[in-house]
Amino acid sequence: MSHEVLEFDVVSASLTEKAKTDGAELIWDRQQAMKAKCGFGDKGLCCRICAMGPCRISPVEGKGAQRGLCGATADVIVSRNFARMVAAGTSAHSDHAREIATVMHMSNKDGNYKVKDVGKLLNLAKEWGVETEGRENDDIAHEVAEIALNEFGKPFGTQRFITRAPEPRQKLWKEKNFEPRAIDREVVTLMHSTHIGCTGDADSMLEMSMRTSLADGWGGSMIGTELSDIMFGTPTARGTEANLGVIEENMVNILLHGHNPSFSEMVVLAAEEPEMIAMAKEVGADGINLVGMCCTGNEVTMRHGVKIAGNFYQQELAVLTGAMEAVIVDVQCIFPALARLSDCYHTKFITTSPKAKITGSTYIEFSEEHALESTKTIVREAIMNYANRDRSKVLIPQAKSKALVGYSVETVIQHLDKVVNSHTDVFNTVKPLSDVIWAGVLRGAAGIVGCNNPQVKHDKSHVTIMKELIKNDVIVVTTGCAAQAAAKAGLMTMEAKELCGRGLKEVCERVGIPPVLHMGSCVDISRILDIVGRVAIERGLDNSDLPVVGVAPEWMSEKAVAIGTYVVTSGIDTYLGVTPQVLGSEHFTDMLTNTIEEKVGARFTFEEDPVVCAQLILDRMEEKRDRLGI
Amino acid sequence: MSLFDLIYAGSNAAWGLAEQTVADAIQQKGKDQKVAFPSTAYSLPVIYSATGMKINTLGDLETALGVAKSLIVEEEDLGKALNAGLSTAVSAEIIESVKYALQEDPYEDEPGIGFVPDPVIRSLGVPLVTGDIPGIAVLLGESESPEELAAIVKDYQSKGLLTFLVGKTIDQAMEQDVKLGLEMRVIPIGYDVTSVIHVVSVAVRAALIFGALKPGDLAGLLEYTKQRVPAFVNTFGPLNEVVVSAGAGAIALGFPVIADIDVPEVPGALLTQKDRSLTVKTSLETREIKIKVKEIDIPVAFAAAFEGERIRKDA
Ligand code: SF4
Ligand code: SF4
Repeated sequence: MSHEVLEFDVVSASLTEKAKTDGAELIWDRQQAMKAKCGFGDKGLCCRICAMGPCRISPVEGKGAQRGLCGATADVIVSRNFARMVAAGTSAHSDHAREIATVMHMSNKDGNYKVKDVGKLLNLAKEWGVETEGRENDDIAHEVAEIALNEFGKPFGTQRFITRAPEPRQKLWKEKNFEPRAIDREVVTLMHSTHIGCTGDADSMLEMSMRTSLADGWGGSMIGTELSDIMFGTPTARGTEANLGVIEENMVNILLHGHNPSFSEMVVLAAEEPEMIAMAKEVGADGINLVGMCCTGNEVTMRHGVKIAGNFYQQELAVLTGAMEAVIVDVQCIFPALARLSDCYHTKFITTSPKAKITGSTYIEFSEEHALESTKTIVREAIMNYANRDRSKVLIPQAKSKALVGYSVETVIQHLDKVVNSHTDVFNTVKPLSDVIWAGVLRGAAGIVGCNNPQVKHDKSHVTIMKELIKNDVIVVTTGCAAQAAAKAGLMTMEAKELCGRGLKEVCERVGIPPVLHMGSCVDISRILDIVGRVAIERGLDNSDLPVVGVAPEWMSEKAVAIGTYVVTSGIDTYLGVTPQVLGSEHFTDMLTNTIEEKVGARFTFEEDPVVCAQLILDRMEEKRDRLGI
Repeated sequence: MSLFDLIYAGSNAAWGLAEQTVADAIQQKGKDQKVAFPSTAYSLPVIYSATGMKINTLGDLETALGVAKSLIVEEEDLGKALNAGLSTAVSAEIIESVKYALQEDPYEDEPGIGFVPDPVIRSLGVPLVTGDIPGIAVLLGESESPEELAAIVKDYQSKGLLTFLVGKTIDQAMEQDVKLGLEMRVIPIGYDVTSVIHVVSVAVRAALIFGALKPGDLAGLLEYTKQRVPAFVNTFGPLNEVVVSAGAGAIALGFPVIADIDVPEVPGALLTQKDRSLTVKTSLETREIKIKVKEIDIPVAFAAAFEGERIRKDA
C-alpha cells in the first residue's frame, strides 16, 4: 500500500505498517483496488435513474453520445446528479434533527431526557410564539418540539428560522423563490424533479437544489443544533485532547462514532455510572475511556470535553491499534468496512440505529424510551470484551494534542464581552468582532468545515489552509472533521496565537481565545450561519457584503454538498478543495463558479492546492473589503 | 479610506514634514549643528530607546529619517500599521529636535513646556510605581465644549492622574481656569501636534530608567510601556491623518485612544465616546486603571495633585 496518502500524518503512518502484518484491509487498499476512477462518473456524466440506462454522455462536445436515451443532455444529467447529492445531504441532516426533536418531545424532568438549557428553550419559545408564562418547562419543551417536528412536513408556510437571516437576504430569497418550505417536502420535490422525464433544465435544477439546501442549513441543521443545545446544554469553552494517543493502554476503550447526540449523550452518562466503572475495574482495567470520532465525537467534546480519537479517515486506524474494546455507532459516515476490520481484532463493532444496520456488526438497538438502560447494555458489552484484548497486537501511537473546544455562538459572545467598554457599548453582541474586521485588524473570517477524502492527503489541506489564513489575520471557525484536524494539529491552543499575524494574535490575547475556534459538528455549521448573520445585521448589511468565506478543503459526503450549497445560497463564497463531479457540464460548472453570483452574491471556487486556495480566499476578502471601503 | 490607509497617509505626511524640516535646518546651520534636548542623558529618547542610536548633529538626523521611512510598509496588516505609527513618533521627535537645534528654548513664548527633562521623570517615578499617580492622560485637539474639557481635566486631577495637554486644549483649559503646572499634575506640552512626542518621551524614558531596558530593545520597550505605563489618549474634535497615525503610535505602545467623534473602533485600543461626561470613566476602564482611594465628597477637588498648591494671599 502506498504510504504517500499519510505522508502528512506520521502518527497514523506507523499503523498502516501494522495493518499489513495483521492482514487488515484499509481504505487505501480499497482505493488501490478501485484503480483509475471512471471518467464518466467523475465528471457527473453517467445517469442511471431509469432502466433505459445507464446512459453516459461523452465528455467531448460534438463527439460520441451527446444525449441519454430520454434525450437528457450533459447539463441536465450533471445537474440532476448534483441535485440528488443535495437531497441526500439535506435528508441526512434533517433526519438527525428529527430525532433530537423527538427526544425533546419525550423530555421529562424525571426521565433520561431533560431540558438542560432552560434559557435557550425560553428564547426559542419566545421566537416561535409559544406561551411560557406559568407553564412547566417540560410543557413548553413539548410544544416547541412539536412545532419543530412540524417544520419537516407542514403543508403551508416556510421555514421559521429563515427570519434569523439579515433582512436583505430574506428579501432576496423571497424574490428568487428560494424560501424553503417544509424540509421533507423540499427533499421529496427535489427527488421528484430528478426523476426521468421531469426537470430538463439545469438552471432550474440548481435553483431547486439551492432551495432544498436552505431547508438544511436554516431548517434541519439549525433545528438540530438549537434543540441539541436545549436538551444537552449549550457548549462552553473547555479543554480536551485529540489524536489516536488518547486511546489508553490500561482502560476499556470505547470509540463513539457517528452523529446523533441523543444517543451519544446517553453513552456518556452510561460510561460515567459508578456501576459501570466498578465493572471495568472488576475485569482488570483502570476504568472506562470513552473517545469520540467524527461528528458525534464533536458533539460530546463540545459539551463534555470527551477526548477526540480522530476524524473520518482515522476510523479504521482506531481499530488497528488493537486496543479498542468496542466501536459504537449510530448513523452517517460509518465505514461498513469496520465490520470486517474488527474481525481482525477483539473489537466489537456495535451498530445501534435501525437506520444504519451493517452486515457483520453486532446490532443492539438503541431505544429512546429506555435510553440509559439501553446504552448501559452496550457499554457492558464493551467492558466484558476487555479480557479478550490480544496485548501482542496492541500499538497505540503516542501522539495527542491539547485543544480548547466548546465555542458556541453564545460562548464566543461571552468572550467578546471581555473587550467591551461598558461606557461605550452594550454587552452580548458581536460588535467587537465586526469592529476588528472593519478596522482591518482582522482581514476576515473563514468557516472551515468538512470531511477527509483519500483524493487528497489527509488533513493536509485543512491544516495548510488554516495556517495560511491565521497567518494573514483571518480568524477561523471550524466544525466537523476539519475541526478535529485542527485539534490534532495543535491549532486550538492559546499557544497557536504565535502562528498568527499581528492582528489576530492581538485579538486572541485580548479576547482570550485560540485562533481556530471549534464550533461543533456538521449540523453546527448553522452556528456559523448565525454568527455571520449577526455581524451582517450589526452593520445593516447582507452576508454577501462581508469578507467571510466557507471552505471545505477535503469534503466527501453528500451532506457536504448540501452544506456548500446552502452556504453559497446564504451569500457566503465557498471554496472546495475537492472538485465536485460536475465538470462534465461546462454550463453547470459555470453556474456554480460564476453566474450563481448574480443570483445570490456568492459563488463556488474549486481549488485543490491548499496554498493556492488560501491565496484566492485572501484576495477575495480584500476585494470585498475594497467594496466596503474598509 | 480604510483605517490602515489613513495611518499610512499620516505617517507619510509626518515623514515628509520631518524630511523638509531637517533639510531646511541643514541649509541654515550645516550638518554639524548640534542636536540635543535639554537635561537628558538619553539623547533623542524615542529614537535612542527604539534603535539604540544616539543623535548628536543635524547630519545624524538624516539617518534617523531613514529609520522612520523604513517603518512605513504600506500593507494591510496590523503590525505594519502600528510600525507606521511608530514612524510618525520618530518623525515627530525629529521635527521637535530640530526646533531645539535652531533655538535655545523654542517653547519660551508659549505656555507649553516642550521637552520634559530627566529630573522631572525621576521625580514622577515613585508615585507612578506606588500607584499614587494611577494613570497618565494625554489630551489632544480642540474640544467643542471647553467646559466639558475642563471638567474632564479636573476629574483626572481629582483622581490623581497626570494630565498632559497638547494643542488647543491648553488654551481651553486655561480659559476655564484649570490650574496648570507639574505640582497640579496638569502639564501643557505644546500647540503643535508633534509636541505630543514629549509625552511619549516621558513613557520611553520611564522604561529606560525604571525598567532598566536596553536601548534598542524595541520589543521589550513596547511590552514595558503596555504593561507598566498606564497612559491613554483622549482626542477632541476632528482628527486629521497625522493625528490618526500618531494615535497608531500610541496604540503600538499599548496606550488606548478614546476619541469624541466617530472612528473605526478597535475594542480596547481605539474607541468612540461622544458623551464627554463619560470620557473619564471610559478611559479608565479601557486602560484598566483602578482608582485606589475613594473620592472624598468635599466641595473642592481633593487629591495629591493639590499637595503642592500654594495658597496665594489674594485667593
Ligand atoms: S433518465 Fe435518461 S439519461 Fe438517465 S438513464 Fe434514463 S434514459 Fe438514460
Ligand atoms: S465532516 Fe464529513 S466525514 Fe466528518 S462527520 Fe461530517 S460529513 Fe462525516
